[in-house]
Amino acid sequence: MSNPDPNHQTDPIGRVLGVLCAGFALAGGGLLLAMVLATLASVLGRGLVASPVPGDFELVEIGTAVAVFAFLPYGQWRRGHVIVDVFTRRAASRVRAWLDAGGALLFAVVAALLAWRLARGGLDLARDGSETMVLGLPLWVAFPPIAAATLLLVAVCLHGAWRSLDDARR
Amino acid sequence: MIGLDSVLVGFAALLLLLVLRVPIGVAMLVTGIGGYVWLAGWGPLLNYLKTAAYWRFAGYELSVVPLFLLMGQFAIEAGISRALFAACNQWLGHRRGGLAMAAVGACAAFGAICGSSLATASTMAKVALPEMRRHGYSGALASGTLAAGGTLGILIPPSIVLVIYAILAEQNIVKMFMAALLPGLLAALGYMATAALYVRIAPAAGPARARVPLAARLAGLKSVWHVALIFALVIGGIYAGWFTPTEGAAVGAAATGLLAVLHGGMRWAGLRRALLGTAETTAMIFLILLGADLFNVFLALTQWPAEAARQIADSGLAPYLVLAAMLLIYLALGCLMDSLSMILLTVPIFFPVIMALDFGLSPEETAIWFGILALVVVEVGLITPPIGLNVFIIQSLARDVTLVDAFKGVVPFLLSDLVRVVLLVAFPGLTLGLVRLLS
Repeated sequence: MSNPDPNHQTDPIGRVLGVLCAGFALAGGGLLLAMVLATLASVLGRGLVASPVPGDFELVEIGTAVAVFAFLPYGQWRRGHVIVDVFTRRAASRVRAWLDAGGALLFAVVAALLAWRLARGGLDLARDGSETMVLGLPLWVAFPPIAAATLLLVAVCLHGAWRSLDDARR
Repeated sequence: MIGLDSVLVGFAALLLLLVLRVPIGVAMLVTGIGGYVWLAGWGPLLNYLKTAAYWRFAGYELSVVPLFLLMGQFAIEAGISRALFAACNQWLGHRRGGLAMAAVGACAAFGAICGSSLATASTMAKVALPEMRRHGYSGALASGTLAAGGTLGILIPPSIVLVIYAILAEQNIVKMFMAALLPGLLAALGYMATAALYVRIAPAAGPARARVPLAARLAGLKSVWHVALIFALVIGGIYAGWFTPTEGAAVGAAATGLLAVLHGGMRWAGLRRALLGTAETTAMIFLILLGADLFNVFLALTQWPAEAARQIADSGLAPYLVLAAMLLIYLALGCLMDSLSMILLTVPIFFPVIMALDFGLSPEETAIWFGILALVVVEVGLITPPIGLNVFIIQSLARDVTLVDAFKGVVPFLLSDLVRVVLLVAFPGLTLGLVRLLS
């Protein structure tokens, strides 16, 4: 599953991508911590003052979505995604590298499709002026960071495919 | 049957991609997208993708997942695994095989504040494995105990897989957590009994240690009281309805984070490690969730699952036969996939079937009972060859134990798992008792 040393950190593009992925992941983690504190405040406030904060769940929902998208590039960077390797465990490492390059390319295509659609989705929501039910927050604000994270995911996938191809030809 | 051919093509494509080492989440995404386009066309798909991923990740109930993962990461940083193992040791170490029993107990305690099997297995193994080896325990017993003990991370609430099941089956997470408690404790007791039997048959595998005086035992308990407090606060608070599971997870993450700072000496480097660990595991889980989401939309478009459920219900097959077949399918799939993917791929098909059969329980009780059964058999997959992930993790930490030895050591625990599954099937009250009592 998770690979302790997933990347050659030697090429400059890889280093930049690594820093960006960790940055996005830590920003998402910070958001998660903020959600923990806000929820804690809400629970304590409800217990002590008996007045629930209205619509705090909407903040948690938006926060979760943005944090999860911010985590995705880092997950791919660490090559932490689950692979069924029963069938290929005994295959030559070159064969596996070729297959991994293919998998990363496929992921890049899907992620690119997602990034494009999410950007459009965000624009639609901004044009319609859609808002959350209780707090009336504009829905589109979550989409720029999400689309950016998905674009970074595309870059990481492409870079991973390139590195795997490099391994395959070695 | 309606759409059966599309379903078969879909599963065949999914399997092909999995064999070709495509990450499981990506494989489901690609197949799901392909199936969607095939059955409904590009226009609806492009429209669907505009916001589907956002709404998938923005579910309030799902927010409990990253929060519990963060809590688990803090538990690792808190360095309490050593104290837990030491405390259990003082009570059990003087028996033959006592260190193994203590390791199971410590795994159960760690699992009570950590919802992931792999994290429990690897964290406890780092502490307990060297200790068991130092006291002359056989490699097979030591690694088997820890691989099996690791599954307690998921069997004892909080449990990530259980949250996912509850969302898929539209069940109350709180009641699922209640139902999981007794079967989880049963698992811990079963593993301890297995270790005791093991050393009765092979006494050299787990020699006894000197007895520890009562005063020292009580002193040992004092060093782990905070774990009990956090578990009682989080799970008790969720059971009692003081807060929602998400709020409980936030409270738990905050408390465990505090413990990591005060007890484990967590500073910025540790916090960074915990956040990045959370990020990696969350990404892994949510990619699979997103993939399964699209794949299941495709399955629903074929209308086959509903049709199959109706036909099986009408066929007059004995309900318990159908249930047994499903549990066997889980055991077989467990040799290929991780537990989360299994639940996500099968529940949309199995759940309607189960709900259409009569087990003499109310619909809600049937749903809860089936969820716990599925969770238990799915976790067995973590310790069965060829890809028992827990066994691989333990074996990578214990370089002197061969993989064959490690899998041999797991076999007795596997048997105890099977006994437990039979018990849970035969006596639904074991699962539902606490739910009936508390709600």
